[in-house]
Amino acid sequence: MTLDSSHPLDARLNWSHGGGNMIELIDITKKYKQTEAVKNFSMYIGRGEIVGLLGPNGAGKSTVISILSSLIEPTSGDVKFLNESIIKNPQPLRKIIGIVPQEIALYEDLSAEENMKFFGRIYHLKGAVLQKKIDEVLQQIGLMDRKKDLVKTFSGGMKRRLNIGVAMLHDPEILVMDEPTVGIDPQSRNYILQTVKRLNEERGMTVLYTSHYMEEVEYLCDRIYIMDQGNLIASGSKEEIKQILASENTILLKADYWNDEFLEKLQGIPQVQQMQVDEKEVTLVVSKEINIFSEVAHLADETNIQLRSVHIKQVTLEDVFLHLTGRALRD
Amino acid sequence: MILNMIKKQALLLFRNPMELLLLLGLPVILITILGNALGSLMDGGELDLTFKIAVVKHEAEAEQVERFKAGLEESGLPSSAINELLVTVENLQPVETFLEVLQSEELKDMIMLETVEPNRLDEIKNDESFAVIVEFPESFSYDFLSSMLLDEEPTPKALIHYKRGSEIAGNVVEQILTMYQEEFTVGAFLGKNGIDPEQLHQASTHFKQDVSSISPYHPVTAKAYYTIGMVVMNVLFLAATMANYAFQERNIHIFDRMILANISRWTYFVSVLLSGLLFALLQSLFVFAFAYFFFGVKWPDFAAFFVITVFFALAVGGISVLLTAISFKNGNEQITGFFSGIVVTIFAFLGGSFFPVGEGSFLQKLGNFTPNGAAMSAYLSIMRGEAITANLDHLVFIACFAFGAILIGAITFPKRGASS
Repeated sequence: MTLDSSHPLDARLNWSHGGGNMIELIDITKKYKQTEAVKNFSMYIGRGEIVGLLGPNGAGKSTVISILSSLIEPTSGDVKFLNESIIKNPQPLRKIIGIVPQEIALYEDLSAEENMKFFGRIYHLKGAVLQKKIDEVLQQIGLMDRKKDLVKTFSGGMKRRLNIGVAMLHDPEILVMDEPTVGIDPQSRNYILQTVKRLNEERGMTVLYTSHYMEEVEYLCDRIYIMDQGNLIASGSKEEIKQILASENTILLKADYWNDEFLEKLQGIPQVQQMQVDEKEVTLVVSKEINIFSEVAHLADETNIQLRSVHIKQVTLEDVFLHLTGRALRD
Repeated sequence: MILNMIKKQALLLFRNPMELLLLLGLPVILITILGNALGSLMDGGELDLTFKIAVVKHEAEAEQVERFKAGLEESGLPSSAINELLVTVENLQPVETFLEVLQSEELKDMIMLETVEPNRLDEIKNDESFAVIVEFPESFSYDFLSSMLLDEEPTPKALIHYKRGSEIAGNVVEQILTMYQEEFTVGAFLGKNGIDPEQLHQASTHFKQDVSSISPYHPVTAKAYYTIGMVVMNVLFLAATMANYAFQERNIHIFDRMILANISRWTYFVSVLLSGLLFALLQSLFVFAFAYFFFGVKWPDFAAFFVITVFFALAVGGISVLLTAISFKNGNEQITGFFSGIVVTIFAFLGGSFFPVGEGSFLQKLGNFTPNGAAMSAYLSIMRGEAITANLDHLVFIACFAFGAILIGAITFPKRGASS
């Protein structure tokens, strides 16, 4: 299911299949002085879902999260929690939402436990109940043995885990995570992804997960919204979104190097709809009916390029994004 | 909740050694340096102020007095008036009296006086051992008496030459001369009105003893002065520190976390205000306690001292929330940088933290319109022994400043999340 931002009604029609929606964003626009950060954006989140919000840096994901969590007001449009607008009355939503900001929203000069105590108390937890909750969460995020250590002594991954833990202290029903794995090692990243999955499966926690790593969103999310430059450019389940490329093949070429002549001629093939060039890889999106293998091989021969491999890739969300915007997610 | 936030703030502050050094160590270091370096100038006695003065009289004073008396006889004034003036003149020998003053008990340890013949004037001008040369021109005493008793022109002028680097000695002599000129003016007035010159002499003797202490209250030592000066200046930095912490909380979305926990922005606002107030109070008390134990800076009226400290701490709390609100609004820390880099320096200069601005001077009046300047004036007044009631104007100003800052801060503070 492809959505064009100029047709927001399409998106709304699609919601009726959701059922039991917790949160709905309806035709949200957010304008700042010079820029329009979000344009006619609509989405819904059903109870118990993991919903992905995918887009490159600057797409408007963080603005959507701030509006959804009642931190900023949209210029136009509405945000509903259980069918009630939160614009004027955000308190009910705030009670059940946990936010994991992209930044490490922790005090570096306090220990993990002191941070949790402080944030637990602002949710009016205290005494033995707070201590029990802290221990439980620290156990979940794997930081029990480091609870007395100052946060500034933690690795990036540990800080990220604690950042998530703090958002879970008050047992939120919905967890909103803004790029929670930015800048951390693969091991910590896996740990976080598994924790999110476990929270969803074991406790039925609803999750809105934003990232510009498509593989994370692909691994975690039931449904996905893709944003670019403030616009919603696609939404649906993984399969639905990948169907966008049903009529195309994504072909991956590998070589030790490329030369300009080869790339120019490759780009000149009429059937090549999109082309993405990396150091040793070229990704082509071409129409499925067309066989361009022989033409590519001929071009390589002509321009002295030694191709190491040519194969048809499984369609990924990255390919869909490339197809829709002409750019890679991490450009 | 507010207590939880203040406790967190205290933990953050105490775990930041650099911040603590700047807030607590710096004022102590500055008091030590300034108190010792400038203490001698302010306190008197501790600096070696011994200097040699040469006095050059171009005409003997006795001859001039005799000439004035003879002139009186021939002036055509009524004989009763002439007689009264003659009695007065007997006790009015300005140069001799001035020399007596320079050799008095109070000054004899400081001044080595040498009377030099006029023909050696050029020679002693090149003599490095003389710090000051006081030159009484011809007819000085005659003109002095004519001017003072008969209101005749010209008014005589004594010349004071001081060597480069001997400005302090020159100043001392100049002040003594000025003081005696004033004394003589009063004396002449009394003499012309038939008051016994002996009474005048006693009065002037009595007056002389009071000269070194201009105020009837206790003098303030340099260490006490700079303790106050450095406290009122450095505590202002605390406001910037509090605002910086708050801005960090905004920047890394901790403030947003609080808002999402349904913490009222006013709870946060009040926590910044109270943290600023409390830590300013603690910072002030720490430095004052240090000064008490190590520099002997004692307060004659502790209750009055404490009241001023609380008022000033409230003003610092007010500045903390004002800076916080503006930096939240602007989305950057420029205002706190501007405050700690420029405003504090200007306030400290006007308030008299760097050097005494002079009682009743324009600078002091201007300085009293800064919170630190008003607090400094109040502290100095208490230190001199005055009552707190004499400082109500300063306290009212500090309170108004604090509430003004809080009010503007409240109006400026963001109404929703930090980024709205």
